[in-house]
Amino acid sequence: MSNIKRCVSLYSYQDEYYLGKLDLEGCLRETAKTGATGVELLAEQMIKRFPLPIETEEFRSQWFDWMEKYNLTPVCYDAFLENRIYDNRTLTLREQIQMMKRDIRLASLLGFHNLRTLVSTPMDVIEGSMDYAAKMDVKIGLEVHAPFSLNSGWADGYMEMIHRTGTKHFGFIPDMGIFCKNIPDVVREKARRHGASEECIKIVDDAYASRREKGFVKIKYDLDLGKANMEYRMANGMKEMMDAVAAAGGGPADMEYAGTSFTYSWSEPQDIIDNIDYIFHTHAKFYNMHEDLQETAVAVPEVVEAYKKAGYTGYLSSEYEGGEHLRMDLDVDSIEQVRRHQEALKAAIGE
Amino acid sequence: MAGRPIYNPDSFQNIREDGKVVGFCFEMKAQYYRSFTLSILRDIRLNVDGEDVNRDDIRITVNGETFTLEETRTVIDPEYRWEFGEYAAVSVRKEGGLAQGTHSLRGMQIIAPSYMPFQIEAPCDTEFEIR
Repeated sequence: MSNIKRCVSLYSYQDEYYLGKLDLEGCLRETAKTGATGVELLAEQMIKRFPLPIETEEFRSQWFDWMEKYNLTPVCYDAFLENRIYDNRTLTLREQIQMMKRDIRLASLLGFHNLRTLVSTPMDVIEGSMDYAAKMDVKIGLEVHAPFSLNSGWADGYMEMIHRTGTKHFGFIPDMGIFCKNIPDVVREKARRHGASEECIKIVDDAYASRREKGFVKIKYDLDLGKANMEYRMANGMKEMMDAVAAAGGGPADMEYAGTSFTYSWSEPQDIIDNIDYIFHTHAKFYNMHEDLQETAVAVPEVVEAYKKAGYTGYLSSEYEGGEHLRMDLDVDSIEQVRRHQEALKAAIGE
Repeated sequence: MAGRPIYNPDSFQNIREDGKVVGFCFEMKAQYYRSFTLSILRDIRLNVDGEDVNRDDIRITVNGETFTLEETRTVIDPEYRWEFGEYAAVSVRKEGGLAQGTHSLRGMQIIAPSYMPFQIEAPCDTEFEIR
């Protein structure tokens, strides 16, 4: 019997929200309908005039009423450290720590005990906020999102900090997009709709399969994320692949497909087991759930199996990201996608 | 096939001041997944019927306040975030406005979320009608 719990990131419902089909309460209602008991929120997505309402008793009482009404637990607050809020400078370290503390406080006000921070958050900002996080009983989780990965030079930088400080309030939030067996089918279908050739698609798909076969060269720790990302791409054969696509007469849709392919990656599910002591929340990213509950890119059963083996007791939070590959041309049904994904998680967990 | 709308189709119109047409305006949604302070809206580029719109002639109105694109650089108050899923009004100063009939608009929103190594350049092309 596994103690893994299920959560939905309201990020998943962004297309319905954008169209005005769902408001914040509507997203919570849909979450509850899937059987999930946890909720993950991007306050800046669905709370207007951020962060003003969170400071009011009125909004908070409404929020907790909703939690009770829909039998949901606030699980993870997704923060964005807007450290380049002005175009002429980066905020100073102290300004950034203040902003991080503000977000920790806001998370806590809404009952969240996990805060997701992004890979762009400087280590000094995390370290400078950890005592406050401990005081507020909020854990800061660094999202491990492709092209980043656990068991890498990049992750080692943070592990060193964890060991050096002995903190219990910082760790990793893996995004299951790091476990893509292949490029998501919705991305390939979009390329086809936009005129990509089968020859170029094959070059890109074969290159992905070869990267997976050989093992991805991992990304390094570097404050300059653009540079780190470009080195990572080159080390993984981007130039050779782009040249092959160009030689095959690739047009804009082919080039886009080729470029996008480097935003997906494959890590071994064993990485979860190796790092489980530092993982307290998980983004169960997915791109397309078929009617038979298969996700053709993310290795859902294999990864959930690793979480079970590791004895994980946190939440797997459905994060649907297929909409961005459909919305230019097609309707998006996030509600159905999340429902299917929750069913697949339920089956994999063995509830 | 039905893509997700960016513009409010009923919003395109000429602006009249003191009996004179001084420009045109429309409403659009930001092509990003969360709200943001106008300070990270780094640009709006517009080309109407093949002609580039001068940046200084563009204004954006959020929550009842209107800013030039130069002014948005310092706008960080929560009252003027461009909310996710909400229209902002974009206006263009142009003597005489646009002629009645159909026009083509090539638009681009440039948004710079701090965590991204690159800016978002979201193309926002449409055809519209001035009645």
